[in-house]
Amino acid sequence: MSNKSLLKLSKRRDLIFTIVRSAAAIAIALLVAMLLIFVSADAGSVSAKLALTADALRQLLIGPLFKNSGAFSVKNFSDVLASMIPIMFTGLATCVMFSANQFNLGAEGGIMLGAFVSAMVAIYVPLPGVLLPVVAVLAAAASVAVMMLIPAVLKAKLGVSEMVNSLMLNYVVMYLIKYLMNSHLADKSKGQIMSYPFQPQSAIPQLIDNGSKLSWGFIIGLVFVVLTALFMYRTRWGYSIRMIGINQPFSMYSGMNVAGMVVLSQVLGGVLAGMGGGIEMLGRYTTFSWSALPGYGWTGITVAILAGNNPAFVPLAAFFMAYLDKGCSLMSTYCGVPSQLIDILQAVIFVFFAAEQFLSKYRQKLVVKAAQEELKQKAAAETAEGSVK
Amino acid sequence: MAEEYVVEMKGITKVYPNGIAANQNVDFSVRKGEIHALMGENGAGKSTLMKMLFGLEQPTSGEIRINGEKVNLSSPSVAISKGIGMVHQHFMLVPSLTVAENMVLGMVPKKSGLFIDFKKAVELTEEYSKKFNLYVDPNAKVMDIPVGMKQKVEILKALVRGAKILILDEPTAVLTTQETTELFKELINLKNQGYTLIFISHKLNEIMEITDRMTILRGGKSMGVHNTADVTPPEISRLMVGRDVVLKVQKEKAQPADEVLRVRDLEFVNEWGKKMLDKVSFSLRKGEILGIAGVEGNGQKELVDMLFHLNTPNAGTVTVNGESILGLSQRQIRSKGVSLVPEDRMIYGIAGAASIQENIISDRCGAKRLNKGPLFDMDAIREETDRLIRDYTVLCKSGAQRVDNLSGGNIQKVVVAREFSNDPCLIIADQPTRGIDVGATEFIRKKLVELSRAGVAVLLVSADLNEVMELSDSLIVMYGGHIAAYFEDTADLNDEIMGEYMLGLKQQTSEEVRRVCHE
Repeated sequence: MSNKSLLKLSKRRDLIFTIVRSAAAIAIALLVAMLLIFVSADAGSVSAKLALTADALRQLLIGPLFKNSGAFSVKNFSDVLASMIPIMFTGLATCVMFSANQFNLGAEGGIMLGAFVSAMVAIYVPLPGVLLPVVAVLAAAASVAVMMLIPAVLKAKLGVSEMVNSLMLNYVVMYLIKYLMNSHLADKSKGQIMSYPFQPQSAIPQLIDNGSKLSWGFIIGLVFVVLTALFMYRTRWGYSIRMIGINQPFSMYSGMNVAGMVVLSQVLGGVLAGMGGGIEMLGRYTTFSWSALPGYGWTGITVAILAGNNPAFVPLAAFFMAYLDKGCSLMSTYCGVPSQLIDILQAVIFVFFAAEQFLSKYRQKLVVKAAQEELKQKAAAETAEGSVK
Repeated sequence: MAEEYVVEMKGITKVYPNGIAANQNVDFSVRKGEIHALMGENGAGKSTLMKMLFGLEQPTSGEIRINGEKVNLSSPSVAISKGIGMVHQHFMLVPSLTVAENMVLGMVPKKSGLFIDFKKAVELTEEYSKKFNLYVDPNAKVMDIPVGMKQKVEILKALVRGAKILILDEPTAVLTTQETTELFKELINLKNQGYTLIFISHKLNEIMEITDRMTILRGGKSMGVHNTADVTPPEISRLMVGRDVVLKVQKEKAQPADEVLRVRDLEFVNEWGKKMLDKVSFSLRKGEILGIAGVEGNGQKELVDMLFHLNTPNAGTVTVNGESILGLSQRQIRSKGVSLVPEDRMIYGIAGAASIQENIISDRCGAKRLNKGPLFDMDAIREETDRLIRDYTVLCKSGAQRVDNLSGGNIQKVVVAREFSNDPCLIIADQPTRGIDVGATEFIRKKLVELSRAGVAVLLVSADLNEVMELSDSLIVMYGGHIAAYFEDTADLNDEIMGEYMLGLKQQTSEEVRRVCHE
């Protein structure tokens, strides 16, 4: 048996394990969800409760794909894809920053700042056609890149914790935007705090016009998944970022520019989060009315961790999160299950995914089996060789 | 019962989560009151076997009996309760606590149930220290005591916890000749008091001197049990590596040429105000190997740190080919042709979770030959890695394998392959063969000689006396941060003379030392 096929074997072993582990994590989470729904179900008899639980689970599991009639629901499914857009970007941003071992949590404030800046460009900058959304999104990316310089440079120069800094920065950014909106930028003719409407040519065109807001932003997101994956695994800068994340002293000793990469990783994270904010804003809205952090940055962290910091797996993780989200909102719409349940559900899944030792005994069994087979083959090969001699 | 076995391990197989079968059906039995050697190259499975005996790892299959009773050693605390103690190669002590405090860690004597009774801890330490004739200073902080004493603290720690069977993992690796002699006396003393000792080592002369029997492992399998008196060193070496190891290095006489490295009046005071380097001056010329010997902690580590800008000196100059390298970044230092095989390969040498490929290209990832525009040329990277894996006989499945799945010797080969292959003019090799197997050691030493004869200047820092004396053309001994002696020719040196300078009993005159500047 050649070395290559051995390596393939061990890779397949890892893949099987990952799949089994994910399935088990989801199964356990569902079990917990079922229990919770059953307990909180608003029905008298046990059988009525059971029926409600079953219905709720149906909504959760296949609601995002099928209508109640059983036909495939294009609307629901495109809703899921549309809500993947911002969390793909924040997921990618977090992947890049976490790969460098920089626990920057600023994607949350970043996506809000990006959305705000792109909205301002969309309102006030007179540019024609295609140029306006492009400029708006680039401006969003640039502004968040500058914002990320704060925790990044403080970390690189003074060793200040980027985690604390970026976390606090989120709120600085949010309140700054709220202040600007409330006192200077709001459309006073409206009953609530919102900006003036965007110029119509600023909108990012829709992929499907069914009200689900699935815009070309989705395609751009997928393109950036590929670009980010290429950057991280096929360029010297991405490589340096990953090496710094694995072993910083090693990277320094090897002659890498550690401080530079610490800054670069966070600035790139800012660029990605900012783009996400801009694309979400221009693809979905016609005025800016966010008054609180949107939560996409936090979800992005979950996405990055589920994807194991590998950009290539971000769409999968984002799809999973978006699907879960949609399922839960359907569940709460049709079955009266409190939507807060989603948080519990996500938390349970997350705990099992993140727990490295989860099912490690099963993994060990797989490994032992493989190793023993390997040894047997080796022994067989040796005796075969011996007999030839 | 004619033979009384205190430890019996039968049919032990251990497969690690990464799929490496570290032990395959190994039998290992130790008689009461003997010193039993466990020998083998690195990666042969010695540490794994002992980790299982100490409860740090669990066997995949096989059984362990202690004093004839079948046991399940699920954790070190179970092993300790069965009378097993382990003295680790890397000391498991808290440097900022005193010796006595370290002694009672996890079993602290209490005053009125709440406060730590320091006095009692000191008394306990003194009592055991006397009983076993192992002198330690109970009130000294562990970070201030010499390595030899740290080891005694480790041994006492195990004894205080009621160990009757002591596992010593390469106990002499960090000791001087004199300290080793002392340790052996103490071990014999323990043996005479009825203690059983398991002695892990790959130093043949030590094994011959002190052990009664030995078990030899090779490639995870037992090569049998032997009475030490019945086997000769060459036989052992054959059993360990399956071939005769040439322990002598063949080398032609050095023909030193131009000065490459020039160090003058280098001084360094560490963060606790201790002067670690005291006006160190020397020159290293093209084509020679200059060895730096000395007991660890006498400034060698600091010297290397200065040369590679892992720390900044307080005074002095360092030039490479006439250009100052002080204050330069590692990238700039490397671009001047300086390579470093770092002392701690797991911290500086490799990124463990990355592949062999990624570890090989760390210093050259920006090189034109490995890039196509902004992207890596993956074929070129693979080619370069595969070539180095072949040239340096790294035992692995492929270049995509994680480097921390390799054995110590193979990890070091990866480090060396990278550091030697970037066309260096100066190689700083800091403990290049520490803790690795005979095969890899031989390979790396040969490579160093080969490179130096091809015109590279080699600075060899090693705590292994045999290594520095065998490999170096000329040699410096460091003691207390300064150069205690310089020997222009290593041919007629012996351990005795070296030991005297290493321990500060002797000091050459400044004129004699000054010769190393070649002025």
